[in-house]
Amino acid sequence: MSDASNPFSLQGRRVLVTGAASGIGLATSTLVSKLGGRLLAVDSNEEGLNRAIATFEGNHHETKCWDLRLVEQIPSWLRQAAAESGPFFGLVHAAGLSCIQPVRLLDPSCYRDVLLVNTEAALALVRGFQQKKAADPAGGSIVFLTSVMGLVGSAGAAAYGMSKGALVGLAKSLSVELAAKKIRVNCVAPGFVKTPMFDRLSGLWESEQRAQVEAAHPLGLGEPQDVANAVAFLLAETGRWITGSVMVVDGGYTAH
Amino acid sequence: MDDFYSKLADILEVETVKPDDVLREFENWDSLTALSILATLDANYGINLSTAELRDIKTVAELGATIATRRRK
Repeated sequence: MSDASNPFSLQGRRVLVTGAASGIGLATSTLVSKLGGRLLAVDSNEEGLNRAIATFEGNHHETKCWDLRLVEQIPSWLRQAAAESGPFFGLVHAAGLSCIQPVRLLDPSCYRDVLLVNTEAALALVRGFQQKKAADPAGGSIVFLTSVMGLVGSAGAAAYGMSKGALVGLAKSLSVELAAKKIRVNCVAPGFVKTPMFDRLSGLWESEQRAQVEAAHPLGLGEPQDVANAVAFLLAETGRWITGSVMVVDGGYTAH
Repeated sequence: MDDFYSKLADILEVETVKPDDVLREFENWDSLTALSILATLDANYGINLSTAELRDIKTVAELGATIATRRRK
């Protein structure tokens, strides 16, 4: 199991990461594999998963192509996954959909999938993870990828901010409820990170808009690795006395 | 295309749009409106139009023609 001399080690720990085929989910999965963890890498993009698993260290990882909008089926799927390959120590919900629309265009068909994947799937994953037959009896650690948009506002980001802000409230109550099971629950709130989601979004911006966003980060835009490092810190023994917290990893975006 | 014109009218908060209407002359045209058009094209039609490309499009008819061309590709 984990290496007592190295509090960053995830040796032998089974960790489920959603959104594992790209961006922050991929960087987190890669880092977890380097720290000795055993991955169940989840994404709706099967091709991306196949590319991702080839980059992980070690050969004891698994992938699962899954549509996280199927929230009702998530708890039984996790129980089955634990029965097949062992209980989970870690859960990282990095999968997410973006939604940039002014409020006048935010009809339910526009934001429903965003809430399903970003927020409701997180709750369903925890419902599955905390089951006696799915969770590692030694305890566990859950990390939700929220966003600075769940902490501060931006025009057009109401739906995305709603979905990410809700994760903060979810994590806080779950951290209290699951402490008795030795399961910690935390959030990481990144600023703008150079991911495929960001490329898609910034492709819609004028060059001066992109320059303004970059300037709002005193340390510049982030790399997926910057966020993955924080997630791994909270997953591993390094985070053993941290629960119900939001670690802001934003290059200073919310500092001013 | 009628479906797109209807969506465009919703975005611009007008009853209808006409082919000769100039996009930048709509009362509530701003950067967020432009972003909404691009996001709607992406989400509903799988068309990735850049801000620069939209900037070169003057009228509703020109936007419609661009969409028709992209959808055929």
